[in-house]
Amino acid sequence: MTYLMRRLAFMFGVLVAVTFLAFSATNVIGDPLFNVVGFYASVDCDAVIAGEIEDVVGTIAGTGIGECERVIEAREKYHLDDSLPVRYGRWIVGMAQGDFGDSYANQMPVSTILAERLPKSVLLMGVSMVVALGVSIPWSVAAAYRANQPFDRASVAAGFGLLAIPGFALAIILFYFFIVRWQIFPSRFMDDNLFSRLHSLVLPAASLGLPLAAVYQRLLRTDLITTLQEDFVITAKAKGLSDRRIMFRHVLRPSMFGMITVVGLNMSALIGGTIIIEQIFSIPGFGRELYVSAIRDDITVVLAGVTVLATAFVVINTIVDLLYSYLDPRVRRAG
Amino acid sequence: MPADPNEHTTPSSRTAKYWRKESHVNVAHAARMAEPPAEPDADRAAPRRLGIIFWVAIGWILLVTTAAIVAPLLPIADPEQIGIGPRASGPTWDQWFGTDGNGRDMFSRTIWGARVSLMVGFFSIVAGFLVGGTMGIVSGYRRGWIDLVLGFVTYVMLSFPLLVLFLLVILLFGQGLWIVTGALSIVVIPSVARLARAITIVFAEREFVAAARLLGATNRRVMVREILPNVLIPMSALLLLGLGLTIVAEGGLAYLGLSVADGFSWGKMIQMGAGLRTLQTAPWVAFFPIGAMFLTVLSLNLAGDRLRQYFDIRELGIGSR
Repeated sequence: MTYLMRRLAFMFGVLVAVTFLAFSATNVIGDPLFNVVGFYASVDCDAVIAGEIEDVVGTIAGTGIGECERVIEAREKYHLDDSLPVRYGRWIVGMAQGDFGDSYANQMPVSTILAERLPKSVLLMGVSMVVALGVSIPWSVAAAYRANQPFDRASVAAGFGLLAIPGFALAIILFYFFIVRWQIFPSRFMDDNLFSRLHSLVLPAASLGLPLAAVYQRLLRTDLITTLQEDFVITAKAKGLSDRRIMFRHVLRPSMFGMITVVGLNMSALIGGTIIIEQIFSIPGFGRELYVSAIRDDITVVLAGVTVLATAFVVINTIVDLLYSYLDPRVRRAG
Repeated sequence: MPADPNEHTTPSSRTAKYWRKESHVNVAHAARMAEPPAEPDADRAAPRRLGIIFWVAIGWILLVTTAAIVAPLLPIADPEQIGIGPRASGPTWDQWFGTDGNGRDMFSRTIWGARVSLMVGFFSIVAGFLVGGTMGIVSGYRRGWIDLVLGFVTYVMLSFPLLVLFLLVILLFGQGLWIVTGALSIVVIPSVARLARAITIVFAEREFVAAARLLGATNRRVMVREILPNVLIPMSALLLLGLGLTIVAEGGLAYLGLSVADGFSWGKMIQMGAGLRTLQTAPWVAFFPIGAMFLTVLSLNLAGDRLRQYFDIRELGIGSR
């Protein structure tokens, strides 16, 4: 098997494991039937239909056997009588065909919910990533350019400070100053056009991106300093290239490996952070939807969420790995 | 498995030393003047020290821990007693950290909040180290299919969206102290396992391990008696870094109302203070627990980082999540 094949098989296996775990767990937690028919889920409807026992709940509500027919209907519709692996198989096949099922809570197709919520979260994560990279790259270049000089020392201290602020705490601090005190940004998500969306996302993206920037800066600075000791830097200098050109064109590129790996691994932290940040800044994004759905046992939405997030994580990391093996053939042979 | 990102980062400290006296700074010289950042005084003859910052950080950690442990004995107000002072008043001589909207003493609450934060953080990092460390040592030493399986398990843990995982665990088992602790330990297991595996692989090839095996030691004995002590020392630094991580993670959970149900932690206090109205009228309700958490995590990071340099472990990705 080639390296690529092995990676893809591994990735596929991980996805199957994650989705199966999530599927089993959610089905144990929330009785899917309960979401559709409420307390009727606990009534033994087979016995009621057969006339063996009286429909206690139904008699009080005055609806009699009709409610139990709804239960049977729902069980058939959602195939709840099958065993767990069979249901998992059916679900994953449907998923592969783009059928994410319907939300139990409001009967909307999950794909509609995803289409509505996901872009906002992706935009938030994208802007956060731009903040993280946009801050960390110039910052590390400036720090590594004169390593152990005052600016570098100060920036190490600043980095430590930034690393010690949890994202949600930073969000609250920013919220307090920029929204409550100075009222520079809107206190809720404005969804009129791209500009208003970006405007609303400045603070959330800063709260997510700045702590990440500190992580990346530490890594990139170390790698930059190492690269600066290579002989080709002296060659470039001897050729008469400007410092700026050497730093950005020759030194930066080979120093990015470590950071790129961590960017991939950090995706899950970013996703986790997104859920809290969306909560704080009231962004009707995917993370918030996922949180709310999980709280109210809306299994299909949660499962779709887990699948989307895990797939994103695995795909991004596989791409990073493949990129690595492409850039550095030693990985391919060793892997 | 992704390649070790630090593979190519072995600085040539000899060059660095040779050129350190250069006075004018430009790129090429900056290059040579740059010391290997992970070990700034590696080529100095004097014994390495942990430094004042380390001890200040440890001092703060000890102070907070002690205060948290002996909180019931301290002469401070009852953290849950309503109306101990005026409502939502700023810091005064009587209430050092002010009071919240119910007139509860924030100073006392901050100390009591440390109890849950530190306890959950501490036990989850310890549990994470026990499980992750065992996984890492076994897979690094045995290699082969065990390594493959454990690597797979680690990757599955990494890929599972964490907050969903917490939600599932909490909905399944409730919000007891030990359940939250166990759920949080899952955050650290993959990183710890990867690191322990990397260190184990290095030591598994050393002579003393080969000698032990030649003498007929069983695999288990080699792992426990030869490998474990060598893995443990460098990992101790990461225990501190990881503790910072779990305290923050508990805070995030508490913010979403998913942490321990009884009592309150810093995260829950932050959440209570973070409402729009509270921020307008009494911002200190959120800011004192934020400050306490910040100082504690900062101290843990600083102390852990110093220890890491002291033991000269390279960054292998803990805290990268």
